[in-house]
Amino acid sequence: MRALNIAATGMLAQQLNVEVISNNIANLNTTAFKRQRAEFQDLLYQDQRPVGAQSSDNGNLVPVGVQVGSGVKAAAIYRITEQGTMLNTNNPLDMAIQGRGYFQVQMPDGTTAYTRAGSFQLSATGEIVTADGYIVDPGITLPNNTVAVTVNASGQVLAQIAGQTTPQTVGQFQLAAFPNEGGLEQLGGNLLKETPASGSPTTGNPGATGFGQLQQGFVETSNVNVVSEITNLITAQRAYEMNSKVISTVDSMSQTLTQMQ
Amino acid sequence: MNDASSVALSAQLAVLHQTDVIANNLANLSTTGFKAQHVAFTQYLSQTSDGTPISYVQEAGTARDPSEGPITQTSNPLDIAIRGDGYFTIQTPLGERFTRNGHFQLDADRQIVTSQGYPVLSDNGSPVVIPDGSGEITIGADGSVSTNQGSVSKIGIVSFPDQQAMTETAGGLYTTAQVPQPATDAKLMQGSIEGSNVEPIIEITRLLSAERNVDYAKTFINAEATQVSNAIDRLGKTV
Repeated sequence: MRALNIAATGMLAQQLNVEVISNNIANLNTTAFKRQRAEFQDLLYQDQRPVGAQSSDNGNLVPVGVQVGSGVKAAAIYRITEQGTMLNTNNPLDMAIQGRGYFQVQMPDGTTAYTRAGSFQLSATGEIVTADGYIVDPGITLPNNTVAVTVNASGQVLAQIAGQTTPQTVGQFQLAAFPNEGGLEQLGGNLLKETPASGSPTTGNPGATGFGQLQQGFVETSNVNVVSEITNLITAQRAYEMNSKVISTVDSMSQTLTQMQ
Repeated sequence: MNDASSVALSAQLAVLHQTDVIANNLANLSTTGFKAQHVAFTQYLSQTSDGTPISYVQEAGTARDPSEGPITQTSNPLDIAIRGDGYFTIQTPLGERFTRNGHFQLDADRQIVTSQGYPVLSDNGSPVVIPDGSGEITIGADGSVSTNQGSVSKIGIVSFPDQQAMTETAGGLYTTAQVPQPATDAKLMQGSIEGSNVEPIIEITRLLSAERNVDYAKTFINAEATQVSNAIDRLGKTV
């Protein structure tokens, strides 16, 4: 009765599917959240009668063999890095990346994390930090008496200082790009970490070849599409039910077998 | 056990096996590029001691349903669905394998790889490497890969004279002794993925009929057993 175990792998897979979908829906309003998708693959097959085996001494070949699968497993949960829509906030320290690239964030342990969530704040010393207070590389400090700050598409930060007529360049945002964005590890808090699978980052100014441009006063919203998530949820629920139907049917079949005289 | 019961038993064994295949189909309802399998049965002829032919049930094979699964849009630039008859060629440590599962990604060396990390081969048999610093990747219907830096390579799509003669290994990868030929009527769709072609209604119907068939065979075997024990009773009385 392999069918019981096979159906169990099916139920586990659909459970994971629902978990991924619910995480997407939960992060509907998370800045720069990238939706995820669970990818499944079939398990090993048992060759009970191999394809192409000889069925007679005259060399007749078996046209179709008997191959029985053993269920399903999760192959990957991957992020779909499609651009989210731009939401105008008019906050001068909200920065959205239009195109490829990540902001680099200095973590308290000295490592670098990467994020596309550009809703930044100022620290007590006037430095541009993330919502968690981590410094955004390469570290941009606004002078004390700044009245207005402008960030242009190529990431230059210009501060308008009280009493001066021309804005002054105080820093330059830099972006990092990876060969395999899907290979980045998620740390939570909108932060991602470099892994051997992601490859090492190349840094560059926004707007340079291979990097997106910055848009001041905007945030990138999540790229979750509620309609498709709900549809996927319904499909996953039905698939779960069908696998559970297999289990109950196989159970009643075994009951039948025990009633044999 | 007499012949009648063993014929019914062969039916039960066949149906239990069919249930395993149905369970695998339903477990793979959400598996990208999965092809449903169906069991075909055949007769196994034998003779009783007086020469009357009797036929047992035996499995002939599990045939794959080659029909195309539903195409779902994912908007992931490296999700590629094949429309029509065709397979991607994958370089695995065990040699070339073929798949219709077009969920790919870039690895750290900028090669297009499967979710197991095996490179996808181009039409001339080499891995497809995206140059550093490229922007969006565009994949044409014929498999040609290009970026903003120009044309890169062409993903190979192959087909085989007999799809049923391919053996499935795990992970949607197929192996075969046939020589792959360039596919003539396959088109790629970027940003989409081919879902599993399992039809839940058909599978559930088959499952229910399998359940009934096991039940019928049980009833038959039980009736046969009663008959035999009655016979023994009666014959015992006449002596």
